[in-house]
Amino acid sequence: MEVPLPLIWLVKIVVIFGGLVSTAALMSLAERKVSAWMQYRIGPNRVGPFGLLQPLADGVKFIFKEELIPAGANKFMFRLAPALSAAPAMLTMAVIPIGGTVVLGEYSIPLSIADVDIGVLFLLAFSGLSIYGVILGGWASNSKYSLLGGLRASAQMISYELTLILTILAVVALEGTLNLRTISENQQHVGEWNIWTQPLAFVLFTITMFAETNRHPFDFAECEPELVGGFHTEYSAMRFALYFLGEYCAMTVLSCLNATLFLGGPSVPFWPEAPWFVGIAAFCLKAGFFLFLFLWVRWSLPRMRFDQLMRLGWKVFLPLALANLLITGGFIAFGAH
Amino acid sequence: MVIVQRKELTLAERLYLPEIFRGLSITFRKFFEKPITRQYPEEPLPTDEVTRGQPRLVVKDDGNIACVSCGMCEIACPAYAITIDGGETDRQIEREPKRFEIDMLRCILCGFCEEACPKDAIFMSNELELADYTRRGLIYDMEKLKRPKSALQPRIDYVYKINKRWRRTQA
Amino acid sequence: MSQTPNPAPSSSPNPAPAPAAKPATIKIQVDGREVEADPKQPLIRACHDQGVDVPMYCYHPGLSPVGSCRICQVEVAAGPGQPSRVVAACRTPVSPGMVVQTDTPKAHETRRECLEFLLKNHPLDCPICDKAGECDLQDYSFNEGQGKGRSSEPRRKLEKRKSLGDVIVLDEERCILCSRCVRFFQEVTHKPQLTVSGLGSRSTIATFADKPLSGNYQGNIADICPVGALTLKPFRFQARVWNLSKTLSTCAECSRGCSITVEALRGKEVKRFRPRYNPQVNQHWMCDVGRFAYAPVTQPLPPEGSIVGGRLIGATIRGYNGLERVELESALAEIADLLRASSKPLVLLSPFVTQEEARAALELCASLGVAPRFVSPAPNNLKDDLLHTGDPCPNRRGLSDLGIAPIEPAAALTELASASAALLVGERVQALLGVAELAKLTTAARLVVLDVVAHDLAALDAALGVPTHVEKSGQWINVDGHVGVLNVAVPAPAGVAPLDRTLRELLEHCRAPAAR
Repeated sequence: MEVPLPLIWLVKIVVIFGGLVSTAALMSLAERKVSAWMQYRIGPNRVGPFGLLQPLADGVKFIFKEELIPAGANKFMFRLAPALSAAPAMLTMAVIPIGGTVVLGEYSIPLSIADVDIGVLFLLAFSGLSIYGVILGGWASNSKYSLLGGLRASAQMISYELTLILTILAVVALEGTLNLRTISENQQHVGEWNIWTQPLAFVLFTITMFAETNRHPFDFAECEPELVGGFHTEYSAMRFALYFLGEYCAMTVLSCLNATLFLGGPSVPFWPEAPWFVGIAAFCLKAGFFLFLFLWVRWSLPRMRFDQLMRLGWKVFLPLALANLLITGGFIAFGAH
Repeated sequence: MVIVQRKELTLAERLYLPEIFRGLSITFRKFFEKPITRQYPEEPLPTDEVTRGQPRLVVKDDGNIACVSCGMCEIACPAYAITIDGGETDRQIEREPKRFEIDMLRCILCGFCEEACPKDAIFMSNELELADYTRRGLIYDMEKLKRPKSALQPRIDYVYKINKRWRRTQA
Repeated sequence: MSQTPNPAPSSSPNPAPAPAAKPATIKIQVDGREVEADPKQPLIRACHDQGVDVPMYCYHPGLSPVGSCRICQVEVAAGPGQPSRVVAACRTPVSPGMVVQTDTPKAHETRRECLEFLLKNHPLDCPICDKAGECDLQDYSFNEGQGKGRSSEPRRKLEKRKSLGDVIVLDEERCILCSRCVRFFQEVTHKPQLTVSGLGSRSTIATFADKPLSGNYQGNIADICPVGALTLKPFRFQARVWNLSKTLSTCAECSRGCSITVEALRGKEVKRFRPRYNPQVNQHWMCDVGRFAYAPVTQPLPPEGSIVGGRLIGATIRGYNGLERVELESALAEIADLLRASSKPLVLLSPFVTQEEARAALELCASLGVAPRFVSPAPNNLKDDLLHTGDPCPNRRGLSDLGIAPIEPAAALTELASASAALLVGERVQALLGVAELAKLTTAARLVVLDVVAHDLAALDAALGVPTHVEKSGQWINVDGHVGVLNVAVPAPAGVAPLDRTLRELLEHCRAPAAR
């Protein structure tokens, strides 16, 4: 039985990428369902059983809606920006190991699309790109609300990217590798999970995650009461949907990253030799918790003020993350390893 | 002028995280409570005789409309929603409406027409739904307004009851 | 415009009065005020002249007082400090020094009792009754009456829909037997036709031997009926009176020019003409011909996409494909070219044009170098000795005063047949000339018509719509030289401008051809 290697790649790409996009689509339904349940409501329940086909209906609607482009907009940039926002978020999924290694006959297939040695670096580089979509969209719309939303997004992104990198750096320093597969494989047992050695980094990463994806309580780029819709005020139809697809993809990727870095990825507690599909289930559960956290926080907390956001980023999170990295480095240098 | 003394925050409150978890726990508890949503078209709101819905014309048991087109509701209508053109009829009553239109877009469901009618010909029904594709379609003519007396009987009885009570307070 | 009375005596029974010597008056006291009263008039007249509201059903200022309803009772004393008693004001002559009190509890009590008797048999069908809203019985019941009847007897049952001829329907139950209608035929037309027949509660108004009413003045008895007993057949159940907008105007059906009120349903649809008190022209009355002449002013609009067959609206000229609607400006230019191209265009005015319109027409004709004439049909046989003059030209006197000569329709048609171009101006001008005869004109003649109705005339080259006499304001001068005022009672249809304005714009086009 000779299975060509490209076919295996193709299957992996289709499964993982498809899973990401459908997760993002289901998140749009989950967002509305969760908000409804938290407010004694029912939520969408008309399309399909329990409203499960609602994302499909939304998609169809978005495709068929008329697309408006403002008269003064830079048309090329305006069209490019949503794709710039969504594509990097999807690309980063390539390096996340969603499970261990599957052995089928003579093949041993690692459950990630790309198994690169600089996985963390790749991920940080591309997730940093997605902010260009937001800034460009805000600028190209030729609207004051959009521009303000884009500017806020860039300021916020710069502030929190630092913290995000510093917290990941602590983990990387501890693990001694940039390969995400190696990092997750190093946490086979519950006791080895990085959450125990890096609790502060975990908390900082989790909070920074919200800021990185422009989610509540840090969604200043959209901020309906002040900026109408922020950077996507002027967007409509599928391009508008693309921004949200990007946002949900980024949420999913960061949730997966969080699970990989701090919760051992596909490792099942107290069952280190669990088969690969249980591992995937455990991974999905861990990532799912963070996704739920996104929604949970959104429908519970009020939005912060922009100056509070900046103060928190620069005066609290950055020093804490730096201190955390220094202490970690100290432990590595002088520790009892 | 009121000077508000802000409460001094405790350390836990200033740390913000415990408060966040408190808030999250509240929403999480609501998560499992029963929804109060009413699925409208399938579960309509209950109405009773006190409901002041759209006005409707009474068709008496003999099949004739009770209206004699006296114009009292037309002149009582504060929204100028009612238009009546009268005409002669061979019936005992001599006069009947040839055109009776209520512009439901104008109607404010105040019930003045019901109160003004000397012939018990117009009553507020419990019908509340109002949708059409054209404005013209929402100007209801006589055929759309006619309802058998039995359908309006609870409201008629109710109006008689409150009128009686009102007369007692006047005496 | 001449407003001086005609010095020559006319056939009218109501000529413009010479400034009469002031009648001798006597002083009486009404509600504490010292007032002057005419001793020839009953006391109720003196009260009304002072603006004191004394109710009345049987009394009518145009009829003799009979004192049958007793609603006008007031408290009267022979002098200050004298004992007073309640008398019917319509049958009491004024005497010097008389002290009249209309607002005393005693007077009110008597009137209220009287009203209760009147309402004993009056049916409570105000929701159906056409009079509701302008009914004296309703008004006074509201002011003076009691809310509840005390009688346990059933009301009398009589005929509710008794036809009295072509015009009047009698509701015997509603009748309060005031006999105003009986006296109207006795005293105004001098041809008695109605009487009170039967005795007691079975008394009703009836014609002699149940013959239908005749004559040209039947409609007036519906006006003077204080209740809804007598109603007009054409107006029956057509409108509630409070929905009628009322506009002062002048009747168009003869040269008498009776003062009337045009009443239009919701300000749009003419429903009724009613006489308006004018002591110098028509007193309280008008004839049935004028009263029911609302067909000419309620012409329907032409069918969708059609030009002829109804109101003439907008501007129409004959193009290659027959008559077609055009912009007013281009139609005016076309008409001006057409008139100037002809050496002597024939200008015929309708006798319905107002003084203002006639002056505009005169200016236009002066610029064209012709003299206009107005179509003057022969007198009809409607002439009587009360109001109708038999002359169908409401503004004959005014046009004659402006120096416009009349022309018989037959003579006008002869001239039309030979004229190179003709301008027919004004409401009903085609009808007065004869539509059939106009249709026979050869197509060689250039015919321009400014009329209310669009007829399919072969010779027609251009036509402009004009407003009817209820859609314009202006003045007519009646046979005796009195000015009759026209006011806009209903809006003219879209595309119909006032005639004098149209004529002046046409004049501008005739004067300045080079600019175009």
